[in-house]
Amino acid sequence: MTTALRVADERPAFRNLSGMDWSLVVASLLLAAIGTATVHSASSAMSFDYMPRQALWVGLGALLMVVAGAFNYKALVDLAVAGYVGGVALLVAVLIIGRVGGGARSWIGYGAFGLQPAEVAKLTTAVLLATYLAGVNRAHVGLKEIGVAALLTGLPMALIALQPDLGSAAMFVPLVGGMLLVAGVRWRVIVSGLLIVLALAGALWFFGLHDYQRQRVQTFLNPAADPLGAGYQVQQSKIAVGSGELTGKGYMQGSQSQLRFLPARHTDFVFAVLAEEWGFLGVIVVLILYAVWILNALRIAQRARERVAVLLITGLVSLFSFHVLYNTAMVVGFLPITGIPLPFLSYGGSFTLVNFFITGLILSIDARRYVNA
Amino acid sequence: MALEVERQYRDDLNLRIQVLTVAVSVLLALVAGGYWYVQLVRGGHYRELAENNRLRRLAIRAPRGVIYDRAGKPLVENTPSYNLLIDRSRTGDLTASLSWAAGILHRPAAEMAANLERARRQPDFQPVPVARDLTLAEVARVSASALEHPEFEIDVGHLRLYRHGTQTAHVLGYLGEVNEDELEASAAANGSGPHYRPGDLVGKKGVERIYDPALRGDDGERSVVVDSRGRLIQEFTRVESVPGTGIHLTLDLDLQQEAERLMRDKVGAVVALDPHDGSVLAMVSTPSYDPNAFARGIRPAEWQALLADDNDPLQNRVIQNSFSPGSVFKVVMATAGLAEGVITPHDRVFCNGSVTLYGNRFRCWRPGGHGSVDLAKAISQSCNVYFYQLGKSLGIERIAKWARKFGFGEPTGIELGGERRGLVPDEEWSARVRHHPWYPGETISVAIGQGALSVTPLQMARAVAVIANGGDLVTPHVVRNRQPVPVEHLDVDPGILTIVRRAMGGVVAPGGTAYYSAHVEGLDYGGKTGTVQVVGGLIGVDSDDREWKLRNHAWFASFAPLDDPQIVVVVFNEHGGAGSSGAAPIAADLYRYWFGLQKKKQAVGAA
Repeated sequence: MTTALRVADERPAFRNLSGMDWSLVVASLLLAAIGTATVHSASSAMSFDYMPRQALWVGLGALLMVVAGAFNYKALVDLAVAGYVGGVALLVAVLIIGRVGGGARSWIGYGAFGLQPAEVAKLTTAVLLATYLAGVNRAHVGLKEIGVAALLTGLPMALIALQPDLGSAAMFVPLVGGMLLVAGVRWRVIVSGLLIVLALAGALWFFGLHDYQRQRVQTFLNPAADPLGAGYQVQQSKIAVGSGELTGKGYMQGSQSQLRFLPARHTDFVFAVLAEEWGFLGVIVVLILYAVWILNALRIAQRARERVAVLLITGLVSLFSFHVLYNTAMVVGFLPITGIPLPFLSYGGSFTLVNFFITGLILSIDARRYVNA
Repeated sequence: MALEVERQYRDDLNLRIQVLTVAVSVLLALVAGGYWYVQLVRGGHYRELAENNRLRRLAIRAPRGVIYDRAGKPLVENTPSYNLLIDRSRTGDLTASLSWAAGILHRPAAEMAANLERARRQPDFQPVPVARDLTLAEVARVSASALEHPEFEIDVGHLRLYRHGTQTAHVLGYLGEVNEDELEASAAANGSGPHYRPGDLVGKKGVERIYDPALRGDDGERSVVVDSRGRLIQEFTRVESVPGTGIHLTLDLDLQQEAERLMRDKVGAVVALDPHDGSVLAMVSTPSYDPNAFARGIRPAEWQALLADDNDPLQNRVIQNSFSPGSVFKVVMATAGLAEGVITPHDRVFCNGSVTLYGNRFRCWRPGGHGSVDLAKAISQSCNVYFYQLGKSLGIERIAKWARKFGFGEPTGIELGGERRGLVPDEEWSARVRHHPWYPGETISVAIGQGALSVTPLQMARAVAVIANGGDLVTPHVVRNRQPVPVEHLDVDPGILTIVRRAMGGVVAPGGTAYYSAHVEGLDYGGKTGTVQVVGGLIGVDSDDREWKLRNHAWFASFAPLDDPQIVVVVFNEHGGAGSSGAAPIAADLYRYWFGLQKKKQAVGAA
């Protein structure tokens, strides 16, 4: 690289705001606003309104998005190994000194302002994977690269599974999967991989699952068999969603939500509250906003200049999309219940901040697409 | 160094991104289709499930802990109470429903509408209270019309019943609806403190407030399935409530009631302590209020009346009001003088009715003077000149030091909270707060308990307890069996305190200021009178002949029996006149009651 090009590299990121992809920013902020309002409705019958705190997270997140967008993403690539090691160290630390919340030792910190190291590890792992796979500048990645990627992913996954937080651990699968798909795994390898995953799932079912997890899956397959126990949540969530019909019952007027039938209704089941109070129309608006975010992020990936940027975006978008798809399908009873929150809508500090950070990172990549071109 | 995408791989890369794009789009569309199916195709089915087979979560209210006096007599208990709730989603005409209820309960519909207005932000289907505390007959009338008026339901709760109403109000305190701050604090504590729900009643004052976490217990919950008329079909789950813990007070109900009777129609405070451990035997502040009014939900008019009363019935005068101690402070001065070696009990001062110090003439209360006065006479006859001289010898710094040793100028540490600190003035205080130097003449005023010095009745009782128990500064408290109550031992020769006690005995013995008014046949005890001027310079008009507001305040601080003190009684009577006539007789009557002695009519006039 010449000196002149380096200078070009140092220019402010948003020197040309008209070239910026506003759709991503607008979709994020609209989703976060809808989320904050829904969290208020969901917690109105609880002893505590989580809305002000969520609004604080959204405000901090929006700030973080601007900072990440102005920041040169290449610094992350330079620090890929150090970041990965740091993320793993946090995961080890949380196993030793972490606080227990929701049955898993997954929090570091004090009071309401804890940190979930799993959220940090997702990002650092994505950066290292993208950096590693970008080095393979060929049409296809081989089995050796797949193996290394699996190992890099497996370590943080195993540590998170030990917490035990299998929902968060599972999130690494779409992350590495999406990245490998785009990095150039041969189509026949993809097909065989899918078959292996199915076989592993079968093995896990018989040998690896906790009783409560097996019961969740069974309940999912036949919720009516256990309406008072594990099936209760699915059943109540479905009633909430279904009874919303076309236009919903009105803000703060959802009988299912307000009468406290729904557990975790401000976190994992916040979408059920939205569906009950705003109906199918509300659901469609939110799904369209997610589609806007996802499709524009992938469009940015297509025009990104560097291979590492392409892979980073596709990995993170796969992860994001999986959260959206799994959570919305779970709330309406199409998938078993697992602790997978909905980006920008569910209450939660670490998770909200990470999603805004990802959005900013993608904008940072896009802002540099013309550099050196 | 990250690599740029080489041209020949770009197409494959973009193809793969497009595959991902299509996959995600298809899945999003599938989810949308799923919601379309559940909300639009099956929506009616689920709406019916949501409406007809409703699950309701009902709180099982934990009965609040009973509060007992020291003998185990209940001071506050719970009685069942019936509240009328309305489910607004079940009535077509809210106004008609309310006027029906108003008619059947003989209560104004406007009051119910006002109750409803407070619950305006709750969703329609959430039953909200419209009338509290129904009689059984009213409950029966409402239940009989359940079919025509399914929108109403009866909620059974507990109503706090303060058996002795105004008599124990300031110690027990009262309840009120939980406020936003308390809710937030409860949620932030995350289970380590009490768990409050909107609408809960919590202690707002007194023992009800301080011991709220123990008293309230834990509410249980049951979820029930109700039909479209709100009738219970089936109970689903049930978590029993954990009743609140009972609390035993140090208060003696009989003494408390007697003290309240003696203070009726007066404005002031009476406190009785056990001098050995600081347990409060009686604590009366008048005027008082009825906590039962708060328990059943205080009406705005009642609340306004309490706030508008000049004598502030809500205030606990025993701890929340501070005044000059007047001559009662002379017992502290005497102890300080003896302990500092400035005087001996036998030193004499000649009082001819006044003395000139620092260029000002300071008067004794007795115009002709007391003649030759030693310590015992100075206390029993409350000679000002003696203490003016003592004050001059001690100086303000040593006076302030001893006042603090006796616990003045700081809260006593009683659990009730909201205590006044009072004030012990000294040179540092003058410079810091008033920004001018201390005038020597002020020391002379402080020496007889006037000037900027101010104390609460409870601080006064605690100081007398120090003299009575031989030098222990105890922490007053109202709850029995509390964890170790701090005691601070004063470094003072017990012999000195014995001298002061004997001198106080002279106050109610022949020749003492309170002999005629507060002598108790069959009981030797010690006390000290105090009179606080409200307005100076009304020469020639006796305080008792003035308008009430302009009369002097009366103090009496005492302990009994003289040789083996078991009880300390302090009386403060606002605008009660002289200490000997306005406060001492109240203490004397309380001792007669406590020690089971009959008042002999002739005793007052005889000797």
